[in-house]
Amino acid sequence: MIVNIAWRNVWRNKLRSFVVIAAIALGLWGGIFSYAFMQGMSDQQINSTIHTETGHIQVNQPKFLLNYDLQTNIKNSVNIEKTIRSFSGVKGVTSSIQLTAMASTAVTSFGIKINGIDPESFKTVNELNKYIIKGNFFDEKIPNSAIIGQQLAEKLHADLHSRIVITLQSYTGEITYFAFKVVGIYKLQNSEYNEQMVFVKKKDLQNAIGFPNGNASVINILLANNEITDSLERQIQAKFPNLQVQTWLELSPMMQVMSGTLNQMSMIFVFIILLALAFGIINTMLMAVMDRTREIGMLLSIGMNQKKVFSMIVLETLFLSLSGSIVGLIISIITVYYFGIHGIDLSFISEGINAIGFSSHVYPVLDIGFYPKFAFMVIVIALISSLLPARRAIKLNPAEAVRGE
Amino acid sequence: MAVIEVKELHKTYTETIVPVNALNGINLSFEKGEFTAIVGPSGCGKTTLLNIIGGLDTPTEGKIIIEGEDISGLSASQLVDFRLRNIGFVFQAYNLIPVLTVKENIEFIMDLQHKKNTESLERVSYLLELMGMKDKINVRPKYLSGGQQQRVAVARALASKPKFVLADEPTANLDSKSTEILLELMATMNKTEEMTFIFSTHDQRVMDKAHRIITLEDGKIISDAKTAKK
Repeated sequence: MIVNIAWRNVWRNKLRSFVVIAAIALGLWGGIFSYAFMQGMSDQQINSTIHTETGHIQVNQPKFLLNYDLQTNIKNSVNIEKTIRSFSGVKGVTSSIQLTAMASTAVTSFGIKINGIDPESFKTVNELNKYIIKGNFFDEKIPNSAIIGQQLAEKLHADLHSRIVITLQSYTGEITYFAFKVVGIYKLQNSEYNEQMVFVKKKDLQNAIGFPNGNASVINILLANNEITDSLERQIQAKFPNLQVQTWLELSPMMQVMSGTLNQMSMIFVFIILLALAFGIINTMLMAVMDRTREIGMLLSIGMNQKKVFSMIVLETLFLSLSGSIVGLIISIITVYYFGIHGIDLSFISEGINAIGFSSHVYPVLDIGFYPKFAFMVIVIALISSLLPARRAIKLNPAEAVRGE
Repeated sequence: MAVIEVKELHKTYTETIVPVNALNGINLSFEKGEFTAIVGPSGCGKTTLLNIIGGLDTPTEGKIIIEGEDISGLSASQLVDFRLRNIGFVFQAYNLIPVLTVKENIEFIMDLQHKKNTESLERVSYLLELMGMKDKINVRPKYLSGGQQQRVAVARALASKPKFVLADEPTANLDSKSTEILLELMATMNKTEEMTFIFSTHDQRVMDKAHRIITLEDGKIISDAKTAKK
């Protein structure tokens, strides 16, 4: 009977209940959608880093990353690549020559990082070829070709077929100049990367700087999935103890910080929503108790004990929050699914968002297990919020309350 | 033998700016099956006395002994249980549960007492038959007239066969016909089920039915007289 009364009481003041249910649903949707949005941004950033920058794992000489010294290279990288390919879970392996250089056009010069790649093996690890917005990926027939980022092209006032002169140090330490023809312009979501990284063919770079054939600065590895990264890192490190083996997370510690910050921001946002929701529920339920002072007084008078009156108010809140949670979950699932496919276009703030390494087209994503967790949080908050009104109800003096005082 | 004994009962309300002495040394006893009206002008202490006897309020001084048990020392939760087991209340403003039907309202106390469904249903049918309201069994209170609502409230009070029925101005909002039906019903239950009825009232029609009339003034008993009705 208590459950019956509580359920019917919810629908007594339909407008008030609908407002609360809508508030709970919107609050839940806001929390879930913002979390999915942040999660989508973070996942896209991680994916982009893995698939267009570092791969899951990078191997290099221990001191190479300090100054990109050409002498600090991996000898017989071809054999090492072969060994790494034989590990289970490895999807692709590529080696490259990396060094810092200066790119110039007739107009201006700019500091860059040059990456000499083997186009075929590079494609097994890196998806840069999918982000070419002008021109094409490397053509074997065109010698001394380069692919540059959109931002660098703008800074150098260069376009497709422009010639850029790259000033760099040769393997023996002499300054060398070399001209490359721009055959492709790429645009990744990381503007810093777009501004700095120039890709050329490994063969051309080897010829230009006299880099020993069969050696490489770095080896990048793509795995079947991210979950096996740590275990593969340990296996490769054990096999090549003299080389430095790092995961994408170790290579881009900022990403971990950003990803963590995004998570914290979402949690703070969810917390604020839940707090607002809690006050809304407390207010509504206090009003419901005050409106029904006489009735609650009667219930206490005729022998309904305080435990039952308390349960009745808590149940009413539970029914309200359950109704709101169900509606909120349905809206959330639909919107996260829809925008997860179609994305949210943030191109109006693309400059700022790309500068910190995020894509301007965000695809919200949320693990299915998070939905009940969010709903559970709302219900717990609702139950906590019901304690004050329920306590107020049982503290009524039946003799006074029954007269509506 | 007295089933209710009121001994040296005082009640002072101190929440007001000037403390109000609502009851000043009341001594009373009620026997089983009495049909008593407590009368007096407004503010004389009728409702306070009824509330204290019913365990809705606590005395400042004095004792209420019901069937040998002093209820003035019971805790709030013990009092709730005491009321559930022993007392049926009828209020001036009906106070039905608006979200429940007539049947559910009458069943409510029996449900709180964990009575069997079949037993409850029989009792509801019997009381509604008596009230002439069988056709309203599944109707919600807002669709009933004041008189009908009060009849349901009385049926609810009588449903669990309480030993005592305390009615605070039960006919104040009713027309003559409804009052007549209600009083007849309560008189019948008083006779057939030996329930003890105590009313607070201004209504002459209630006084006319009473076996005993207690008159209060300024929180004191100024008269306590048996009538020839019993």
